[in-house]
Amino acid sequence: MQSSPGMLTKFESKSSRAKGIAFHPKRPWILVALHSSTIQLWDYRMGTLIDRFEEHDGPVRGVDFHKTQPLFVSGGDDYKIKVWSYQTRRCLFTLNGHLDYVRTVFFHHELPWILSASDDQTIRIWNWQNRSLICTMTGHNHYAMCAQFHPKEDLVVSASLDQSVRVWDISGLRKKHSAPTSMSYEDQIARANQNQTDMFGNTDAVVKFVLEGHDRGVNWVAFHPTMPLIVSAGDDRLVKLWRMSETKAWEVDTCRGHFQNASGCLFHPHQDLILSAGEDKTIRVWDLNKRTAVQSFKRENDRFWVIAAHPEINLFAAGHDNGVMVFKLERERPASAVHQNTLFYITKEKHVRSYDFQKDVESPTLLSLKKLGSPWVSPRTLSYNPAERSILVTTPADGGSYELLSLPRDGSGVIEPTESKRGSGNSAIFVARNRFAVLNTANQTIDIKDLSNNTARSFKPPAGTTDIYFGGTGNLLIITPTTVYLYDIQQKKTTAELAITGVKYIVWSNDGLYAALLSKHNVTIVTKTLEQISTLHETIRIKSATWDDAGILLYSTLNHVKYALLNGDNGIVRTLDQTVYLVRVKGRNVYCLDRAAKPRILRIDPTEYRFKMALVKRNYEEMLHIIRTSSLVGQSIISYLQKKGYPEIALQFVQDPTTRFDLAIECGNLDVAVEMAKELDKPKFWTRLGTEALAHGNHQIVEMCYQKLKQFDKLSFLYLATGDHSKLARMAKIAEHRGDFTARFQNAVYLGDVEDRIQMLKEIDLYPLAYATAKSHGLEEECEAILEASGLTEDQLTLPTMGKPLAPPKPVVSTFKSNWPNKASSQSYFESALLGQVEGLSLEDESNTANGIEAEHATKEETADKLIATAGEDDDDAAGWDMGDDDVPEIDNDFVNVDSAEAGGAGSCEADIWARNSPLAVDHVAGGSFETAMQLLNRQVGAVQFAPLKPRFLEVYQSSKTFLPALANLPTLLNYVRRTVDETDLRKVLPIIPRDLEHLASNDLQKGYDSMKANKLEDGASIFKGILHAILVNAVSSESEVAEAKKLIVSAREYSIAMDIELARRNLGSIDEIAQDPAKVKRSLELSAYFTIPKIEVPHRQIALLSAIKVAIKSKNYNSALGFANRIIANGGSSKIVENAKKTKAQCERNPNDSIEIEFDQFAEFEICAASHTPIYSGAPFEECAFDGSKYHSSYKGSICKVCEVCEIGKHGSGLRLFS
Amino acid sequence: MDPYSTEGELINIHTHFYQSQYQEVIDFDTSSFSAENELPVRVLKLRARIALGQAEDVVADVKGEAVPDLEAVGALAEYTLGKTDSALKTIEKLASSAADNVTVQVVGGTVLQAAGKSEEALALLSQHQGSLDAVALIVQIHLQQNRTDLALKEVTAARRWAQDSLLVNLAEAWVGVRVGGEKYQQAFYVYEELAQGSSTFSVPSLIAQAVCEIHLGRLEEAQSALELAVQKDPKNAEGIANLLVLNSISGNNTDELVESLKQANPNHQLLLDLEEKSSLFDKAAAKYSAKA
Repeated sequence: MQSSPGMLTKFESKSSRAKGIAFHPKRPWILVALHSSTIQLWDYRMGTLIDRFEEHDGPVRGVDFHKTQPLFVSGGDDYKIKVWSYQTRRCLFTLNGHLDYVRTVFFHHELPWILSASDDQTIRIWNWQNRSLICTMTGHNHYAMCAQFHPKEDLVVSASLDQSVRVWDISGLRKKHSAPTSMSYEDQIARANQNQTDMFGNTDAVVKFVLEGHDRGVNWVAFHPTMPLIVSAGDDRLVKLWRMSETKAWEVDTCRGHFQNASGCLFHPHQDLILSAGEDKTIRVWDLNKRTAVQSFKRENDRFWVIAAHPEINLFAAGHDNGVMVFKLERERPASAVHQNTLFYITKEKHVRSYDFQKDVESPTLLSLKKLGSPWVSPRTLSYNPAERSILVTTPADGGSYELLSLPRDGSGVIEPTESKRGSGNSAIFVARNRFAVLNTANQTIDIKDLSNNTARSFKPPAGTTDIYFGGTGNLLIITPTTVYLYDIQQKKTTAELAITGVKYIVWSNDGLYAALLSKHNVTIVTKTLEQISTLHETIRIKSATWDDAGILLYSTLNHVKYALLNGDNGIVRTLDQTVYLVRVKGRNVYCLDRAAKPRILRIDPTEYRFKMALVKRNYEEMLHIIRTSSLVGQSIISYLQKKGYPEIALQFVQDPTTRFDLAIECGNLDVAVEMAKELDKPKFWTRLGTEALAHGNHQIVEMCYQKLKQFDKLSFLYLATGDHSKLARMAKIAEHRGDFTARFQNAVYLGDVEDRIQMLKEIDLYPLAYATAKSHGLEEECEAILEASGLTEDQLTLPTMGKPLAPPKPVVSTFKSNWPNKASSQSYFESALLGQVEGLSLEDESNTANGIEAEHATKEETADKLIATAGEDDDDAAGWDMGDDDVPEIDNDFVNVDSAEAGGAGSCEADIWARNSPLAVDHVAGGSFETAMQLLNRQVGAVQFAPLKPRFLEVYQSSKTFLPALANLPTLLNYVRRTVDETDLRKVLPIIPRDLEHLASNDLQKGYDSMKANKLEDGASIFKGILHAILVNAVSSESEVAEAKKLIVSAREYSIAMDIELARRNLGSIDEIAQDPAKVKRSLELSAYFTIPKIEVPHRQIALLSAIKVAIKSKNYNSALGFANRIIANGGSSKIVENAKKTKAQCERNPNDSIEIEFDQFAEFEICAASHTPIYSGAPFEECAFDGSKYHSSYKGSICKVCEVCEIGKHGSGLRLFS
Repeated sequence: MDPYSTEGELINIHTHFYQSQYQEVIDFDTSSFSAENELPVRVLKLRARIALGQAEDVVADVKGEAVPDLEAVGALAEYTLGKTDSALKTIEKLASSAADNVTVQVVGGTVLQAAGKSEEALALLSQHQGSLDAVALIVQIHLQQNRTDLALKEVTAARRWAQDSLLVNLAEAWVGVRVGGEKYQQAFYVYEELAQGSSTFSVPSLIAQAVCEIHLGRLEEAQSALELAVQKDPKNAEGIANLLVLNSISGNNTDELVESLKQANPNHQLLLDLEEKSSLFDKAAAKYSAKA
């Protein structure tokens, strides 16, 4: 029997002989016990050696992981059993007791027990918690080679070189070691009376069955995970299957095939298979039911010593003379194909099924492929042809074959395919609606076949072709181990090629423009003409990939779902607990097939890659949207932005002042840098800020930095350079205060102040210099005074010849008055948009962009204001100097501030602060900042016609301040009325709002109701519009009030619409005029019917219905009237109205017909277009007013809302904000 | 001895002046006062008359006087009559020639501040030597400049040497209404004490009391106080203006009050402000229009 191609080696290690192996139940780890006394811990996914444990003396034969704790156990030829912690990486303790080699060690699945088998012929059970031997099982009369717990029952099975297999009952042991409370009285009696003992009086573990049948020693034995079966392997080269019942056990069958000692065997955890390994260098797979050989795998030189299965996933490991191999028996990738919203895939049972992505529904089995290939080999690929609803399936069985099948319309259970066309080939894919290509690797041909399986043409692919993929219409992608070719089927030639090794899968993007070539560790993105765009490397194996609609590739590795952008940027989307094969991504859902071929949906957060994509595409709106709607933060995104050269965007994400400062400096955003430097207030930051600001020519910030740093010399020089004489003079004064003569001298030189220089020189007794200075400036009087003071005469002195006195140049331009103008472009569009957003904004058109920038300017001005304000706060400190206070200012002041009161000027009034404090339009109105208020309203609800809001604006504005009489003949003091009465922190105060929500609900709304009742509809309409305007410019104090406000908006809107409709009806003309014009009669009927539609209060709706009945009956539209009457009755309420309605009903039911056809279907669901007063049926397109929600036919898009008369219909904003 | 101290002759008339009881100032019997106080009394009485709108009489009264105090008062009178240029010229001349005269400081500071020259006013006032009048004026100027911080500092400093003086209390109240929070109530107590005492009552004090109540959110009390104030002095523009604001806050129609304010003082800053904002509104609104 040939070695099967199906066995897939996943990992191999090179070492000395491996005698024991154990899989970690959760992590991709395997423990290997070596003959060289070492225990290795490998990560078989990464292929890395994690750790080595070397405390055993001599070969180690048995190892086992604990199921839940970070422990493992080992046993070796030093007779010792050791328990280790792989966390602390050391041996915790050693269990001594065996008198010979320990062959196997296993943990119990739930009790703190270890089972060991030893050459001392005993099998022992240890409690690893109290580290004691609790049971010794004797009976074997040769080496005990292997002993295992039953996975569920209280049984142990053991194998020995005495040729027997024994099954032990250890229920007694369990009872003995259970907590006493769990033992009933009866149990205790039963136990006391227990006389069933073995020959040594041992009641804890008794032999249940002795299985004899092997002719030589038995090396290994194992229980079946679920069935009462046992498998054993022996030196007689046989693998035997045993069955047991409650009372007896017997041999079922023997698997013959190994031609040397069989050293290990086990049951497949999920499938009806037995695996065995032997010294004949083979691993063999047997059918459990038929006991026939299914597969065998042979190694050239290495004898196999042990075999183990992963408890969860489809992985096995075998230890041999030179190490360990981890392998799979078969490919687990389910064959699948995606067409539009449907996934076609083949299950483990070889059933073809489909799955609807949208509905998240699996179809029943469409087709059974039981007969395809061999029963243990699953199909490799599936190709779907939507035109014919047929599939091509390939299987590697029998050297590779394909089958063309047509799918039934809908599945109804297991259906054998009625007719199928098959042939041999390794790959088969559809290349057109009626053509498919088949690759035959053995003879290296590609056949193009039609749907009746006839070869239409045939050609030789490039040498060494391993696979073919669809390559776009009329093209094939041909894969060889080193190159991918794009092959034109018509022209029969290669049109492009790309040197790339080891490509295994190709995934096309949804628009067919790009393809991802997947190899084991690389993803290469190419265009449809096979030009490489980017490539990326993964250390973990890449399993699958799929494209999202935006052109982002999502791919899965063994443990992650990741994304890759076209430019090669990639990152992790989420981790995976098990391997999956991605088939599609839609929004936040990634659809995939797991290894059991079940469709699964993974939730992902696409924010990060969407953001990066938007960044790459410079789609700032999208970015803005993402920033606003999701919490996209974290170091990684910041460093990404920084790395990619977008520090100004990164700035938006950072809270940490230091990072913010760094970023602000990097992108030259001085405003933010100043803000952060103030917050941090450390010399280091001021220095950096100063340097950066200097480079910008922003000498005002430079000045501030120098002040903070107390760099007097630099300040003086700065003032000299900017020509600020008054501040220079102040610096001179400061220098005088500080007693710093050098600085004073320097300032005097800068100022050209000769007297001060002389004065200073005199003060420090440098009379010669003072004299020279005076002399050179021609100050003869001063000269004489000095001479006199020093008691000398002029002729006693010799002076060098002097040039002209030095005078500092006069500033030509008053640079100090303002900064160097900067190019506005330093602010990115994005940033300005972000800064401008006091509020959500839509960046739809230019005007808005402009607004954003304006707002940004406003922010700038505010910052400037703040600067002044903060400067002002320290005025008095500076003023202190001028008053000549004795204490030296810089000792108790944090920093020097040379701005004195004269520069302080006026502060900002509270009204300005309101606008700064609040994102609500109403607060801007109260603060008098109508422009920004309008901007806000425009962005929030698309307000464009502000005239109707004028009374409200002025009402709010004039409520904002009072006039406090103070001193005679001076204007009164303005004071700002706050709604935050108890608040004194200027950063939190907010203005009072007249006619707040409560007032509107209890006054205006009632007035509106009254006018409805009193039939004063004109008044009513204006009252309700007034309510809408008042809410539009308003503020509430809690989220719940926001909800109330929304309710009020809705009800005002409905009343407004209702009244408009009725008024429109009344404006049709007098009764006579209407009666003469049939069109008007019809319209009148319609309007009266529509009047009943808006959701106004029930009593008012009754009025509307009554009015509608009246109009309808007058025109003999009894059917309509009947409908209205029914509604009145259904509404209930005032009995008089209901009575009348009942009468009308009775009257109308006699003749339930309409004499005039009108456009009003009382059974249809519709709303009234507030402009045309015609129905908008549900499902029909409509536009809305973003503020009041009134609906319009889509033709009204862009015009002014008829209800609020302020907003533009169909213009979507960020929504009205009433609460911040 | 300080003539304004508790034992001084001028204390009562001075207090009347700052309680806005101008008629009482004018009617004050000063015949027994010592000669050295003659000038200050005259100045006070003249200022009271200006406050009552009799500026023309004052101009005539001081015509030809060469005392700086009277010249300053004359300038104030001229200023209130609209002759701002000549008033300013006079004050500027006095500021350089007689800057140490406290009347020149206070009256001159008033004129300068009224003319919007706050910095000059402060510079002149900064030369005062412990005059509460000057301090009060400085506080008011700072408040009008929206420099509450400086005003507060000034009051705190004055409080240290002037204790429970009326002017300090008033100045503190002005600042308090700006600062808000608990200070509203404290300011209210100051004005209430003045407005409720029969000897200290004046309409402006009552108005100020009502203003405090508005800020405290006690709208009904404010309403009755303001109505009383307007009833007592129907021409008092401040009373009408505050009543207008109050009505607006309460959600009532204010058209009538706007009319009466126009009659009382067509140039009231509320009216000017509203007019300006109204045109600002139209300008700003014009930038927007519907697409269709």
